Amino acid sequence: MSKEMIICDNVSKTFETSRGDVNVIGNVSLTVNENELLVLFGPGQCGKSTLLNCMSGLERVTTGSVTINGRTIDSPGPDRGVVYQRTALFPWLTVMGNVEYGPKVRGMSKSERREKAQYYINLVGLEGFENSYPNQLSGGMQQRVGIARAYCNEPDVLFMDEPFGHLDAQTRYLMQEDLIKIWEKEKRTVVFVTNNIEEAVYLADRIAVLTNCPTTVKTEYEINLPRPRDYIDPEFLRLREEISSVVDKAL
Amino acid sequence: MTGRNLKGISKYKKIYAAVISIFVFLCIWQLAVMFTDVGIVMVGPIEVIKLFFVSMVKPIGHDTIQMHIVWSLSRVMTGFVIGSALGVVLGILMGWFRPMNALFRPIYEIIRPIPPIAWIPLSIVWFGIGEPSKYFIIFLAAFSAITMNAFAGVRAVDPELIGAARMLGANNRQVFTTIVLPSCVPHIFAGLQIAIGSSWATVVAAEMVRASQGVGWVIIRGQDSNSTVQIMVGIVAVGIVGFALAVLMRWIEAKLCAWNVRGR
Ligand SMILES: Nc1ncnc2c1ncn2[C@@H]1O[C@H](COP(=O)(O)OP(=O)(O)OP(=O)(O)O)[C@@H](O)[C@H]1O
Ligand SMILES: [Mg+2]
Repeated sequence: MSKEMIICDNVSKTFETSRGDVNVIGNVSLTVNENELLVLFGPGQCGKSTLLNCMSGLERVTTGSVTINGRTIDSPGPDRGVVYQRTALFPWLTVMGNVEYGPKVRGMSKSERREKAQYYINLVGLEGFENSYPNQLSGGMQQRVGIARAYCNEPDVLFMDEPFGHLDAQTRYLMQEDLIKIWEKEKRTVVFVTNNIEEAVYLADRIAVLTNCPTTVKTEYEINLPRPRDYIDPEFLRLREEISSVVDKAL
Repeated sequence: MTGRNLKGISKYKKIYAAVISIFVFLCIWQLAVMFTDVGIVMVGPIEVIKLFFVSMVKPIGHDTIQMHIVWSLSRVMTGFVIGSALGVVLGILMGWFRPMNALFRPIYEIIRPIPPIAWIPLSIVWFGIGEPSKYFIIFLAAFSAITMNAFAGVRAVDPELIGAARMLGANNRQVFTTIVLPSCVPHIFAGLQIAIGSSWATVVAAEMVRASQGVGWVIIRGQDSNSTVQIMVGIVAVGIVGFALAVLMRWIEAKLCAWNVRGR
């Protein structure tokens, strides 16, 4: 029986704007087990990022609560790692500077954090690029830096918000494959947001399908296909069809 | 590799083009002075260049032309350094701390549109006719450009980067020193670029009002003694030094902001 790592209990989120209140998350209850890879799958603009930000602590929930490892989440913190859609790398820092940033601000000694950062840089396959700046790297490599940076704090959970959304198809397949390799080597609880069904089925242990805004969990699917998965395996394609037919059309 | 070579070639081409365009301009100027009525009100470039080199050994007033440039530069540097330092500090504080903005912004907004040279009479009353009154005016010139840019830089910090830093464990002070400060460096450089230009323009104006050396004085002395060629020597010195300052600033920026697209 695996441990429940993240618990969203009746979470809702309403933004107060100058044009009135916008209810983005209707009512979401969701649990994520330890070392599980949960994919949040939903149409564009349905509130995926908002839900993820509520889980990571970047946004405050309006009602309900999020607990991770038994602790209620109400602000950002280094026990959670985030990989962003637009990378959010610090452009004035090198690859090494970005990856060691977390341990550095938390006061880890230089030799210790360098060693740790080097381990994760190697893990994501960026050995030799330690002294490059983000703007000298390709989109795929930038996201690798983002993954290494999130991992380097050794958080309990990782949140990934469409990290491969801006990549070309070829790079995207490669990144999905490598993400699974990295995750199998360094198991963490991962919540991965995407609006790409193929990506969802390829990565997920479980898929939570979200409705249009104000979003709720429409249904969930356990994906029990063995890894590494094959994009054209008949069972893969069947799941892909089935889940596609369930999801709302984007607004 | 090829990219680098291509870049190298285009750089040399640019320099060629610059040399040719200046040379052609000087030729036309010289011919116009020699063969048309322009000669009545203007001297030719050969005469100007000749006097420029002569004045490197034979003083205009008490100083050679390079010493006049040094005088002007020392005034600019004093006012520019103090003005930039204070401007960066005030701009960043106004950008990051709302109460600082509420307190200083109104005063700043009123002072900002006043051209620095409008302060010359008052600064002479306050600081006398010596050096301090010139430092004050140049200080103002540098200060207002820098403050605005440093302020804008802080306001333009990407909130997602601040969120990312907090998520990684940074506290408020660390967010300020490791995210806010570095990300406004390019804005500050843009401000320094404007400030060095307006400081240089202002020193010339200040020296034309009241000084006994410096490039502005060379120009105004030329006017008093009806020497068009001396005026031109002063103007050429102003142009060359102003250009050199801008190039120097860009070079420093490229060195310090290699990570930024602006600096590439
Ligand atoms: N801070 C905010 N204030 C007001 N409205 C917001 C805010 N953040 C998000 N929204 C609104 O919430 C809705 C969902 O946004 P969100 O970014 O969470 O969706 P998403 O599913 O991640 O979209 P995408 O597919 O583009 O990534 C949008 O309509 C957006 O306008
Ligand atoms: Mg989103």
